[in-house]
Amino acid sequence: MNSSNLINEGLALMGFGMGFVFVFLTLLVVMTTLMSRLVNRFLPEPVPVPAKPRAAAAPAAGAGDQEQLVAVISAAIRQYRSRHKQ
Amino acid sequence: MDKLINLFVSSGIYQIQWGQAVMIVVGLGLLFLAIKKNFEPLLLVPIGFGGILANIPEAGLAFSAVENALHLGKPELIAQIGQALGIDSVDPKVIKQAYASASHSAHNAAAAVAMDGGFNNGMLYNFYLVAIASGAAPLIIFMGVGAMTDFGPLLANPKTLFLGAAAQFGIFATVLGAVGLTALGLMEFSIQDAAAIGIIGGADGPTAIYVASLLAPQLLGAIAVSAYSYMALVPMIQPPIMRALTTPEERKLAMTQLRPVSKTEKIMFPLVLLILVAMLLPDAAPLLGMFCFGNLMRECGVVERLSDTAQNALINIVTIFLGLSVGSKLSADKFLDINTLGILGLGIIAFGIGTACGVLMAKLMNKFSSTPINPLIGSAGVSAVPMAARVSNKIGLEANPQNFLLMHAMGPNVAGVIGSAVAAGVMIKFVG
Repeated sequence: MNSSNLINEGLALMGFGMGFVFVFLTLLVVMTTLMSRLVNRFLPEPVPVPAKPRAAAAPAAGAGDQEQLVAVISAAIRQYRSRHKQ
Repeated sequence: MDKLINLFVSSGIYQIQWGQAVMIVVGLGLLFLAIKKNFEPLLLVPIGFGGILANIPEAGLAFSAVENALHLGKPELIAQIGQALGIDSVDPKVIKQAYASASHSAHNAAAAVAMDGGFNNGMLYNFYLVAIASGAAPLIIFMGVGAMTDFGPLLANPKTLFLGAAAQFGIFATVLGAVGLTALGLMEFSIQDAAAIGIIGGADGPTAIYVASLLAPQLLGAIAVSAYSYMALVPMIQPPIMRALTTPEERKLAMTQLRPVSKTEKIMFPLVLLILVAMLLPDAAPLLGMFCFGNLMRECGVVERLSDTAQNALINIVTIFLGLSVGSKLSADKFLDINTLGILGLGIIAFGIGTACGVLMAKLMNKFSSTPINPLIGSAGVSAVPMAARVSNKIGLEANPQNFLLMHAMGPNVAGVIGSAVAAGVMIKFVG
C-alpha cells in the first residue's frame, strides 16, 4: 500500500477516534449529571438516617439483653420446627 | 533395532525445530514471570503453559485439522486439500497460504477433506475457536469486570470521565506509530494491525484481545502477551512519567471528599450508558453491553447469585480457557517475527503516552475546576483497574502522607475502561 496513504489513514483514525471518544464521554458526563440530579430530587435516599440509631443500639445491649434475645430466638425456632414437622 | 529408530524419529528430541525450542523457552519465561515475580499470574500462567503446549513438536495442539494434515498427511491427501481450495499445487506451504486467505466455504471444504483423512483440530485450536474466534471469552470477562466495578466514585465526580478520555490518546498515537514504522519500511502493518496494536495502550486485556481477534487475528498472541505484561508493569512504567510531569506542590494537592451516591443512581448508570452506546456507537455494544449487564446485576441487588457467579466462578473458568487459547497463538511460526518486537515496543510507548495525557488533562482541569483536582489521578485514566488507581494513591502518599487519593483515582480508572471500550468501538467501526 502507498505509505503516505497509510499515514493519512492513521491520522484520520486518530482525529476521528479521539474526537469521538471525547464527544461520547462528554455526553456521558452530561447525562450522568442530569440523571443524578433527577434521582436526588425525585427519589432521595431514605436509608442513612435510620441506619445510625440501630448501629448505636447493638453494642449498647447488655448481657441481660443477650440472654433474653437467645431465649426469644430459641423459642421461635422451636415453634417453627413444631409447625413444620414432616 | 528398527523399532528403536522409529521411536527416536517420532520423539520430540528428533522432531523439534529451533523456533519451537525458542518458544518453549519463552513460555517458561512467562511462567517464571508469573510465578516468581507475580506478574498478572492469573493470565500469564495459562498463557505461558498454553505457549509450551502449542510448541510441542508433532502434537499439533494449536493447529487446525487442515494444518495438521498438511504437516503429517500423505501426498494424495495434501493434493485433495489443494483441490478443495481450488489450487493445483501439492506444496504444503502454498496450500497453507491459500487456506489462510480462503473464503468461508472453501475453508470448510478443506477442513472436511482433512477430517475425512483422519485428522482433527488440535485441542488448543478448539479452545481458540470457542473462546476467542467466537468473541465469547473477552466479552464474558468484560461482564465479570462490570460485576466487579463500583461506579460510585465516578458518579460522585462525573468530570473524571474526561481523564479516562484523555488517556485514550495513547491508543491513537500508537496507531500512528505503527503506520509510521510501516511507512519507513521497518515493519509491515496494515491499518487494521495498527489499530489492534494501539488498543494495547488502553491497558485493558479483554478489550485488546477482542479487537485483535476481529482486526488482526494473526497478531493476537503478541498483542495479548504485550497487553498483559504491561498491565503487570504499570507500577513501574507510570511513576517516573507522573513525577516528571507534576511539581511536588501539585502532588500534595488534597481533594474534597466525595459525596455519597445513592443506590438508585448506581442502578441507573449502566442503563444510561447502555442507551448512549445504543444511540451513538453500536459497534461498541458487545463490549459495553456486557459490561453494563454485569454492573446492573451487581447494583440491582436482586440477583446476588448471578452477580456472584459472574465475578467469581465464571470469570475464573473463562480466564483459564482464554489464557490457553492466547497461548495457542504463541506457536513459533506466528510469534517469532520482527513484528512482535515492534508490537512490544509500540505497546510500552502507547502506555507511556496514555499516562502522560491523563496527567496533563488533569492539570488542565485543575486550572478551570472549582474544586481542586490532583493531577496524579489523571494517570489512572488508562484502565488497568485497580492497579493504576493504586499507583496514583501511592505517589500521592509519598508527597503528602495525609492525602488518600485511591477513591478519587477510581473514578478516572473506571472511566478509562469505558473510554478504551469506546475507542475499540471506533476502531472496529472505521477499519473493521
